[in-house]
Amino acid sequence: MRTAVVVGVIAALIGAVLIAGAGDEASPNPYVVIGLVNGAAYGLIALGLVLVYKGARVFNFAQGEFGTLAAFIVYVLIEQVQGTEIPYGIAVLVAVVGVTIVGLLMERIVVRPLLNAPRITVLVATIAFTLLAVGVQVLLFLPEAKNLPGAISAVDAEGTPRGPEIFDYIIEPQQLLIVGVLGALAVILGYFFSKTDLGLAVLATSQDAFATRVVGIGVERMSRFIWGSAAFLGAVAGVLFIPVNLALAPGVMTSNALIPSFTGAVIGGITSLPGAFVGGITVGVIQQLAGWASQNYHFGETALQELIPGFPSVALVVVLLLVLLARPQGLLGTEA
Amino acid sequence: MATATETLPAAQTHERWHPTVTGWLARIVVLLVLLGGLLLVTAIVPQFWADRISLAVIYAIIGLSLNIVLGYVGQVSLGHHGFVGIAAFVAAYYATEKAGCAPEVGCDVTTFFVSLLFAAASGAIAAGILGLVALRIKGLYLALITLAYGFMAETSIFEISALTRGGAGMPAARPDGFTSDRAFAFLCFAFLAVVVYVDWRLIKSKVGRAILSLKHSEPVASSYGINVTAYKVYAFTLSGLFAGLGGGLFAFRATNVVSNDFNFATALLWVLMVVIGGLGNRTGVIIGSAFFALFPFLFELIKPLEHYVRDTLGREPGFFAIVLGALLAILTIVQYPGGIAQQLSPITRWLRGERFSMHPEGHGRHRRAGHGLKARLRSRHTPGAAAEAESGSEDHDEPEGLAPAESPELAAETERMAAAITTTTESAEDASEGTDASEGKPAPARKRTRSRKASS
Repeated sequence: MRTAVVVGVIAALIGAVLIAGAGDEASPNPYVVIGLVNGAAYGLIALGLVLVYKGARVFNFAQGEFGTLAAFIVYVLIEQVQGTEIPYGIAVLVAVVGVTIVGLLMERIVVRPLLNAPRITVLVATIAFTLLAVGVQVLLFLPEAKNLPGAISAVDAEGTPRGPEIFDYIIEPQQLLIVGVLGALAVILGYFFSKTDLGLAVLATSQDAFATRVVGIGVERMSRFIWGSAAFLGAVAGVLFIPVNLALAPGVMTSNALIPSFTGAVIGGITSLPGAFVGGITVGVIQQLAGWASQNYHFGETALQELIPGFPSVALVVVLLLVLLARPQGLLGTEA
Repeated sequence: MATATETLPAAQTHERWHPTVTGWLARIVVLLVLLGGLLLVTAIVPQFWADRISLAVIYAIIGLSLNIVLGYVGQVSLGHHGFVGIAAFVAAYYATEKAGCAPEVGCDVTTFFVSLLFAAASGAIAAGILGLVALRIKGLYLALITLAYGFMAETSIFEISALTRGGAGMPAARPDGFTSDRAFAFLCFAFLAVVVYVDWRLIKSKVGRAILSLKHSEPVASSYGINVTAYKVYAFTLSGLFAGLGGGLFAFRATNVVSNDFNFATALLWVLMVVIGGLGNRTGVIIGSAFFALFPFLFELIKPLEHYVRDTLGREPGFFAIVLGALLAILTIVQYPGGIAQQLSPITRWLRGERFSMHPEGHGRHRRAGHGLKARLRSRHTPGAAAEAESGSEDHDEPEGLAPAESPELAAETERMAAAITTTTESAEDASEGTDASEGKPAPARKRTRSRKASS
């Protein structure tokens, strides 16, 4: 019920902005549309964050790096393998499976020994893992930006942009793909956690590992499952998001997408899967609207941009603070 | 035959072992040789190595600053690059824009100290604000807030061109008399000494004990009348003060501050160097920080290796620092939660005036935990148990999680707290048991099984 209300209100707000801005010269509409699409990617990462939080009660700082790793694997397979042409789909499949294995290894080597350690220890361990992943990428690929092509090219053979035009903005097919994948995954995960035995077992583990063991659920198996699926989600997010928005460089998802995703997960409620979806999109739109505002608002002679550099990130931090102070459990979460 | 009452043997008081006069002299000599050696090395190495040593010293100051939040209060700060960066820019801004220092003109020492003062103050204010937020936000969420704070500093504050002069950077001329790298390194050592002294005195004081108690349990701390929120803000502010000092020195060491020096990866590396050094342990943190500052340059000492890395592999030696640091951090967290401090503890304990032992845990004050009423009662029935208790337990060999490696103050505090709590609810006999329980170890049970083995 609350989910429906919150989703309705946010959709109505975004719709109102879109309608109000229609036809205007300096309209924020293209920004809003970009925000929706970026937000979908943030939501995808936030899904992974929420999954780990629900299962292990910890913030997974390595979530972004799963994405960068997957993108690098795709890059190597399609750009650097000589001789045979590897289809994009196969490359993505290899990358996602590979990163899922990395996630399982991380669970075994880093997380499992800390099953009974304080949560803050596990958090530092995920930070260490993040830095390890970034370091390995820097060693292998140097700190240079690379260009990773998308699954579907944004322009057709004649060079005209593909995709539907909404409010003066042409959405690339890849961006549509992100939105679609996010929606599908949110529904699947929502069903998984509320209806299936395995999903309920994962939730039980997160609440009381000892009691769960007593009733015959393998805590280790659950932990493996959680981190494997988190890595899977991170890999999917990276492979989809990096081609449209970012240049591929070591640690790019951590520095560009992790903080907005965390903000999204917290806004939506760190324990709520639909919340990750809603929060991610909200953050994407807020960020873009702030970017629009910083270019179009003027105080006397100085633009907001010059007054407060990096206004989008300031807006993000302010929103995060307000949510944490006023409603730490987020819009859709049930507990803090 | 049994009497209704039984007279217990008189409590044995164990005199603390003290070294002889020669022993003390040996310890003092070793300490002086270590410190003197450090200064001597700084005095004789080439200037560019002196410059790197000053970087190591600045890292040590930053490490100690982070240690207050991470090691003493038990919170994660991922925004320390924000504090250090703000302070560095404030120092450079004051020296260059307000006092008119420039590389050609030079800079007088008073200006230098004033700008350091401003740097430390700005770091303290920046961290104090964050501390105020921390009043309501706890645990993992606080890590998120510090992360967002650092992100904001990076993308917004460091982009204010009046303060940072954009990408070109803000110059910060070194003060007259300290323009050479070597002289500046000694200056950094002096500041490190001050920071270490303040940190040491702080932890010995009432305030320090209050801050240390926050890590274990905030409800327990507040039930003892400790103002949890005030001490948290205090700890954050102090951490920011040290970070600001480190940032100011960083600015004058670099002589030109660019915002690229302070990024998220740096903040992560700082967290790792404190964890690897050993949370809550001053010596460990200093060594860990210095190690991370100097590691990228160590390749230069082995020329063939450096050539191999640079020319054949085409990689900067610094890249390896990230990978190795992360690997060490994982190893530390998973296998040796005490970090470097734990490895060094036989030496540091010896220097502090205790018997040299590779298993220092058994000889410290913790031993008293095994000498409660129960241990003595047991020893009357099972001859082996006495020796068992005597040789100390392994209770503390494996600190749980990110427990500080070697912090007798902390252990004593916990001991005192736990003992007080258990004695109010249970009999005094269980006090020693409660102490062990508070450390999260089933030690008494283990001891009992062992003593049974010994008697059979």
